[in-house]
Amino acid sequence: MTDDTPALDPRDIATAGEYVLGTLPQPERETFRRRLLSEPALLAEVARWETHFDPIAEEVRPVSPPERVWDGIERRIQPGMGSAAPNGALRLWRWLAIGSALATAALILVMWAGIQRAPDERRLWVSDMVSEDSSVRLTALYDESDGEMRVSVAGTPPGEGRDFELWLIEGDNAPISLGVMPHEGQAAMPLPEDLRTRVANATLAITDEPAGGAPGGVATGPIIALAEMRRI
Amino acid sequence: MTPDPAELQDLLARVAMRDRAAFRQLYQVASPKLFAICLRILKDEQEAEDTLQEVFVKLWHNADRYAPQVASPHAWMNAVTRNLAIDTLRRRKPGGGDLDAVDNLADAAPGPEADAIRRSEGRRIEACLAELDPDRAQAVRLAYVEGESYLELAERFSVPLNTMRSWLRRSLIRLRECLTR
Repeated sequence: MTDDTPALDPRDIATAGEYVLGTLPQPERETFRRRLLSEPALLAEVARWETHFDPIAEEVRPVSPPERVWDGIERRIQPGMGSAAPNGALRLWRWLAIGSALATAALILVMWAGIQRAPDERRLWVSDMVSEDSSVRLTALYDESDGEMRVSVAGTPPGEGRDFELWLIEGDNAPISLGVMPHEGQAAMPLPEDLRTRVANATLAITDEPAGGAPGGVATGPIIALAEMRRI
Repeated sequence: MTPDPAELQDLLARVAMRDRAAFRQLYQVASPKLFAICLRILKDEQEAEDTLQEVFVKLWHNADRYAPQVASPHAWMNAVTRNLAIDTLRRRKPGGGDLDAVDNLADAAPGPEADAIRRSEGRRIEACLAELDPDRAQAVRLAYVEGESYLELAERFSVPLNTMRSWLRRSLIRLRECLTR
């Protein structure tokens, strides 16, 4: 960096160095930090020290953090997902397995075929959730005429002692748990009456939770995938 | 393995645009080093995890503040991490809070400022630390890597607190001269 800023007092250079090292005692640290807001030359000096010392930080041998750190980060940057009201009753819904795993591409067709009895009477909604790395796909199909939600799960199953949990998110409201998903294959369940009118504007999401579902009905894990409900 | 700076810079740019996939990737490539920095400074697993979480929440919200012309992406993220870790540490134990500012440095004026920052790559800091008395170089390292306070350093080197601080400030001035030479 070329310097157009006036030369700093050596005392400030030393104090900037102490600030970067971390030895500046706490009250002075706070005072110094306030000065940085209004003194660009001082801020530039801090940046210089940070860069000069950085090769020493690079010598520290990396340590992989536990997965829960990422879970916590993801929760904190997803405003809608961390603050759900407990909804224990819904969490306990039992999904009924209705089939085994099938090739992903065929899933929607198969599920559709299962409810093709009178197509024009059907009002169908679908949410096709695919994780960012495409390793997990969960397709949910809701049939307004009989209030039945069908899901199909494919791809990499959750880790040991973990389950995928399905959530209904409507606007800024707290997500509502629709229960724990089978690790693969298909399942169906009737959607509770009070949720049936809310499907139209909803987004569905899957999160990675402890086995048996999020404790207290509040999502704790990262969102694996989410997608809006679309009318088909 | 240390990620490539160009890759990190690209990831930061995408995170600034709220790209969650890029954020996840940034976490994967950068978190082991940053977690290690937290652990070394805090020496407490739980605090290190909490601090790492703070770091990434901060990166998510502030990635747009990264300025490539000022620092490499590594240096910037390391600095954000060290800053938060030191704050946590000093909140926990105020070590050295009674220190006087020791400012008898008038005879240690640095040479003219140069375009130092871009020349500081590689092992320049090591060469300059080697020019210091070994104890003083070690004090700088211990402060930087282990987050030691003046109190801890004074005990370690068996010198009064204010002497310790005076040493370190003089060392910093000498380092700075060397680094900008």
